[in-house]
Amino acid sequence: MSKLTTGSFSIEDLESVQITINNIVGAAKEAAEEKAKELVNAGPTLFAGLESYRDDWNFKLLDRYEPVITPMCDQCCYCTYGPCDLSGNKRGACGIDMLGHNGREFFLRVITGTACHAAHGRHLLDHLIETFGEDLPLNLGQSNVLTPNITISTGLSPKTLGEVKPAMEYVEEQLTQLLATVHAGQESAEIDYDSKALFSGSLDHVGMEISDIVQVTAYDFPRADPEAPLIEIGMGTIDKSKPFLCVIGHNVAGVTYMMDYMEDHDLTDKMEIAGLCCTAIDLTRYKEADRRPPYAKVIGSMSKELKVIRSGMPDVIVVDEQCVRGDIVPEAQKLMIPVIASNPKIMYGLPNRTDADVDETIEELRSGKIPGCVMLDYDKLGEICIRLTMEMAPIRDASGITAIPTDEEFTNWVMKCADCGACMIACPEELDIPEAMGFAKEGDYSYLDILHDQCIGCRRCEQVCKKEIPILNIIEKAAQKQISEEKGLMRAGRGQVSDAEIRAEGLNLVMGTTPGIIAIIGCPNYPEGTKDVYYIAEEFLKRNFIVVTTGCGAMDIGMFKDEDGKTLYERFPGGFECGGLANIGSCVSNAHITGAAEKVAAIFAQRTLEGNLAEIGDYVLNRVGACGLAWGAFSQKASSIGTGCNILGIPAVLGPHSSKYRRALIAKNYEEDKWKVYDARNGQEMAIPPAPEFLLTTAETWQEAIPMMAKACIRPSDNNMGRSIKLTHWMELHKKYLGSKPEDWWKFVRNEADLPLATREALLKELEKEHGWEIDWKRKKVISGPKIKFDVSAQPTNLKRLCKEA
Amino acid sequence: MVDTTKNTKLFTSYGVSTSRTVSPEMAAKLISKAKRPLLMVGTLTLEPEILDRVVKISKAANIPIAATGSSMASLVDKDVDAKYINAHMLGFYLTDPKWPGLDGNGNYDMVIAIGFKKYYINQVLSAAKNFSNLKTIAIERGYIQNATMSFGNLSKADYYAALDELINAL
Ligand code: SF4
Ligand code: SF4
Ligand code: SF4
Repeated sequence: MSKLTTGSFSIEDLESVQITINNIVGAAKEAAEEKAKELVNAGPTLFAGLESYRDDWNFKLLDRYEPVITPMCDQCCYCTYGPCDLSGNKRGACGIDMLGHNGREFFLRVITGTACHAAHGRHLLDHLIETFGEDLPLNLGQSNVLTPNITISTGLSPKTLGEVKPAMEYVEEQLTQLLATVHAGQESAEIDYDSKALFSGSLDHVGMEISDIVQVTAYDFPRADPEAPLIEIGMGTIDKSKPFLCVIGHNVAGVTYMMDYMEDHDLTDKMEIAGLCCTAIDLTRYKEADRRPPYAKVIGSMSKELKVIRSGMPDVIVVDEQCVRGDIVPEAQKLMIPVIASNPKIMYGLPNRTDADVDETIEELRSGKIPGCVMLDYDKLGEICIRLTMEMAPIRDASGITAIPTDEEFTNWVMKCADCGACMIACPEELDIPEAMGFAKEGDYSYLDILHDQCIGCRRCEQVCKKEIPILNIIEKAAQKQISEEKGLMRAGRGQVSDAEIRAEGLNLVMGTTPGIIAIIGCPNYPEGTKDVYYIAEEFLKRNFIVVTTGCGAMDIGMFKDEDGKTLYERFPGGFECGGLANIGSCVSNAHITGAAEKVAAIFAQRTLEGNLAEIGDYVLNRVGACGLAWGAFSQKASSIGTGCNILGIPAVLGPHSSKYRRALIAKNYEEDKWKVYDARNGQEMAIPPAPEFLLTTAETWQEAIPMMAKACIRPSDNNMGRSIKLTHWMELHKKYLGSKPEDWWKFVRNEADLPLATREALLKELEKEHGWEIDWKRKKVISGPKIKFDVSAQPTNLKRLCKEA
Repeated sequence: MVDTTKNTKLFTSYGVSTSRTVSPEMAAKLISKAKRPLLMVGTLTLEPEILDRVVKISKAANIPIAATGSSMASLVDKDVDAKYINAHMLGFYLTDPKWPGLDGNGNYDMVIAIGFKKYYINQVLSAAKNFSNLKTIAIERGYIQNATMSFGNLSKADYYAALDELINAL
């Protein structure tokens, strides 16, 4: 068979016939596999498949970190044999039990998220190759290791846009295989669904990596830049006197055409362009590699979508893909806001005007003849959106559209409330709306005002209110002052962590002297409001942890200021460094967070990345103190991102809502057997402390999450100084937020040098008194007691095959 | 007397089986009969009205407290036997007969939940509901479908009155 993969040739004597082969599906992969064979030191899992990581790695993780299944529903309604009652772990008509079915349900969430990022990556890759050509070199800043996630999964190390294609194909092929396993009568073992979910998580980071490296390369995003510009963020930053174009979604491709049109027509200061969700983050990265003064703004997360529309501020709304509300067209229509769907993944039933004349389409939209349209031609999209925004603004002004209720309407609605409590039962945040309404009746609106930040703008309350009170508008009216003051700053997404930053921090991280990496990522389904993540970030930054952030988490952190009027992005440096707050970028930039951990193994410890996921995950789990936080995890993408972190040895804490993902990974800290690893120097078993004690769990409040994360940064290989620093932070934070010293602190002590310096003597006394340890008080040394023998040069590993004498 | 057995309206349904509603007296009786009960206390306990009653329940029936979320902060100086544990972890450990419990004396035969958001406790309890024989009683203001037994949805005033009745009957 011909090995021809791309190129063009002409047939002799038929000079006018030219056949161009752009891509033969599968051939690119075949070529890549050939190339992979050349890799001398490659690991065992090049082009990993469904079964690749199962026995060697996933089952090892799942043996210690057991899947905790918390079903959302005790029925299965998946096929026509059912619905089946699976309560009490019964089996359904097809033979699957409750555990298996819930494993499938969680797995389905993970592959859905993986598909979203992969499809996003494919769209960008194809579009950018078409625009800039295959040969555009990947330019990500000061980095030799450009694509750690691609390399781990496939062995490939693409250097140009075109060379990314085989990795893309690989993800797509595996996704098809994964999706097939969900079919009724396929996989039924919960543990195998979990292994497949972990595998899917690893693919997700490949899909995300592809999305971000190609957009950073082609769109001149900041390239590993700790000093990327500061961007205005918040509903209060929009200048309402200007026409306002509002963009929503995750895929920035279309928006770049709007920005280009604005720039070409000298409109950047005559209108507002601002966005919600990751499109917003990415539009503020566009052409910012040279740190030009930014003009695009970020409004906020998905929870603000309906609130912004209801405010009536946008003159035109453009949506692309992912995390876009399904009711934008009817909501916008009420306020004469045309909606343009710019991506085939969301078309909203709108008429397709891709091939129509631009002027005619603008007229149709302007006149309200159609509420919106689909526009997939980006050149036209750029022009229509900008021109339409400029035209709609005066029309909407003239028609006197006021979305926020008048004082009179507001009072009337409040008075109508019957205190029936239906809204509170329906509200996913369990907000006490009836109580706030009661106070409002007496003229005290402060209770309604407080609800604004906790409310995720979902409308469930309005759906059940028998008095048809527009509760969301009521809350927004009461919070007008607060909303107008929502003005913060966020550092534009900086992209990858550079190799130099890894080299500089690698030793600190591995030795534990930088107490840990805290990754605060995505989604706004917080239990107590957006300020939660600000508090968490601030606490860890003040303690010299490295805080990295992406997506909605990155946005919300920038929404609040200290007494001096400064946001955290102004107070702390933007580098991947001790005490740094590094906004990596949008959700797809999460791949650079796992990438940073992988680079610590590759650059700092010289481990092979190619096809070597288990070894890298093992290294991170045992040596790199990192913990993720997806405090408002809402979408399926959040579940795939988290699961990808998990397979790479990074634990994650989620907010309480995420218990609805139906599964966590928690170790039994009381089972001593689970807390043993091998010493790679000689293959001997060694006891380790229960750290980290989970790979995925939920916390109830941000105050609980803080000590949990500090504890999750403890790693078996910490040296004495590192352990003592980590214990200091954990114990102090536990005391600060939970009122007492943790019960199990002593389990992490191997000898006196591990103890926090300031309290060493008192703790030694406690060890003697409470735990029967023998102390030599003259030398202040532990003589006996600890279960864990510690030798600084030990090389903890869960993989027997990595041991010298294995 | 507060009728805690009526309003069981749910916004979302968790499937076919729902908890039985229970009156304060009945709940008190069941708690008193339990051999090894555990009071599982969530963060809403930071509200003084609930905190006060949690302390009374723990003392009246001599029940140890699993303080989840941030509730430990309010319990440290209350002279109760309370230990912090993450709720999700607790929900998992409760399904393991080999769990030594918070005091090392073994797993529990009954868990009484109070002080949680509905959505969270419903999820945490769904593990015990489906994968163990543990009895769980939710004495919450809202109806908790995934407990074995629960109060119905109550107004704030009725809720506090119901808790007082329960305390008196212990
Ligand atoms: S997939 Fe199995 S358990 Fe689910 S409805 Fe069909 S037969 Fe029942
Ligand atoms: S819109 Fe806000 S108040 Fe209404 S149900 Fe949703 S979160 Fe609750
Ligand atoms: S549902 Fe409507 S009438 Fe009932 S308490 Fe809520 S706002 Fe008032």
